[in-house]
Amino acid sequence: MTGAVEALGRFLGRSAESTGYGLVLLGKTMLTIPHLLNRRRMRDCLNLMFTYSVGSFTVTAVVALFTGMILALNGGDSLASLGQENLIGRIVAISMIREMGPFMTALILTASLGSGIAAEIGTMKVSEEIDALEIMSISPIKFLVLPRLVALTLVTPVMTIIAAFIGILGASIVAANNFGVTWIAFSNDALENLKLGDVHIGLIKSVVFGVTIATVGATQGLLTRGGATGVGEAARRAVVISFLLVIILGYYLSWLYLS
Amino acid sequence: MIRLDNVTKTLSGRKILSELSLSVEEGETLVLLGRSGTGKSVTLRHIVGLMQPDHGKVEVLGKDVSSQNPSILTEVRKKVGYLFQDGALLNWLTVKENVALPLIETLGVSANEIEERVQRVLREVELDSHGDKFPGEISGGMRKRAGLARALVCDPQVVLHDEPTSGLDPISSSIINQLVNQLKSTGITQVLVTHDMNSAFEVADRIAMLHEGKIQALGTVDEIRNSKNPAVRQFLEGEVTGPLTHGTLDGGSDAAEDRNEVS
Repeated sequence: MTGAVEALGRFLGRSAESTGYGLVLLGKTMLTIPHLLNRRRMRDCLNLMFTYSVGSFTVTAVVALFTGMILALNGGDSLASLGQENLIGRIVAISMIREMGPFMTALILTASLGSGIAAEIGTMKVSEEIDALEIMSISPIKFLVLPRLVALTLVTPVMTIIAAFIGILGASIVAANNFGVTWIAFSNDALENLKLGDVHIGLIKSVVFGVTIATVGATQGLLTRGGATGVGEAARRAVVISFLLVIILGYYLSWLYLS
Repeated sequence: MIRLDNVTKTLSGRKILSELSLSVEEGETLVLLGRSGTGKSVTLRHIVGLMQPDHGKVEVLGKDVSSQNPSILTEVRKKVGYLFQDGALLNWLTVKENVALPLIETLGVSANEIEERVQRVLREVELDSHGDKFPGEISGGMRKRAGLARALVCDPQVVLHDEPTSGLDPISSSIINQLVNQLKSTGITQVLVTHDMNSAFEVADRIAMLHEGKIQALGTVDEIRNSKNPAVRQFLEGEVTGPLTHGTLDGGSDAAEDRNEVS
């Protein structure tokens, strides 16, 4: 019993520490945004954007394609039983743009990039590279966190748009092949029922998710202790925390939008 | 030049430094000896302000670094070079870019001057033909020399070395010792943490032996070599039993453990 209470206490203590640290880190990083005018920081940021986009494009595209196809298959099946299969377009478009696109992209980027940021910065922490930067009077926030945060925040909406587009494309293929809904009918239904607000909320979510994933990854990286095991643990925690935050923040953003 | 007054530091409930007082004069090379976990690396980290003492004061170049005042730390760190155990080079930058990093990021000197200074220090550490390689493409000894080049590129007044010869073959160790002696001849103040007795005797002006966060012995190379202090004798002769192990085979914790406690 005492052991369980101790473990709970440790867990709560660590959670409070990492939450506080993460919020302070995010605030401090925001204050360093003017440093992006520095040519080297801008170059680092652009390089990371390229790396992040290329590195996550294939998996995002494949997952989006099949998610759209699954949505169309299941939605179409139910709608066909009511003779309403011509409504597949609006259902898939709205869910991909407003919910599934940002959510699915965020989960993929959490697993591929958020964990990578935590592992990269965590490795630098345990191999004393972060200390070396501090001794050289180079701020790890400006040098490491800022480019990663900005790059991921900009890449996430771009990848979300691509994912939504590919998902809708996949759904249109299934709609045409399985339910006889033509591409024209599918796209007309989608475009007529999609509101600008759906696009806005999808983009807002993706930006919030990008900031969250990068901040959590950097926080866990900078809090890494204990060598290789610590690095693995930091990456694992980054994924778990980001997953939870993405789903919780996603719900509240949808709730705000709908209310 | 460097002064620690009654510095106490506790990490994870264990007292690492216990009212440690120590001073290093200008141009002097002081070697800190001792078993793993006795607070040698922690002492270095206090000198450069990476750690704050629980009690006591640390002065470097006349400035109180234990105050953790950011402007004081920046001012002092510009004059202090630090060689980490494994070099602590950034692995996505070449050796040359690593060495140039403090010049580019903090001093803002011209591109020509950066090139000239980087080439000069790389020549000094005999790495001028390896400047375009990445840290993963060179040996451990070369990485340490690259780390030393980075520590020297801003022309520091003080250089701190954390285990400069650990894990190196005897020839690479001799190269590092030679470099330390060259720095000594230029009047740079140095503090070295090492377990390597040969290295300590080769480079030190004075040697301080730490045990349980306190200085057990302090003296010139000859004084330490001929010391009758049982703790010093045990360490020099590598005896398993004695005052350092409390008559047992009890081992010290790894220094890396202490480093990882740094928040």
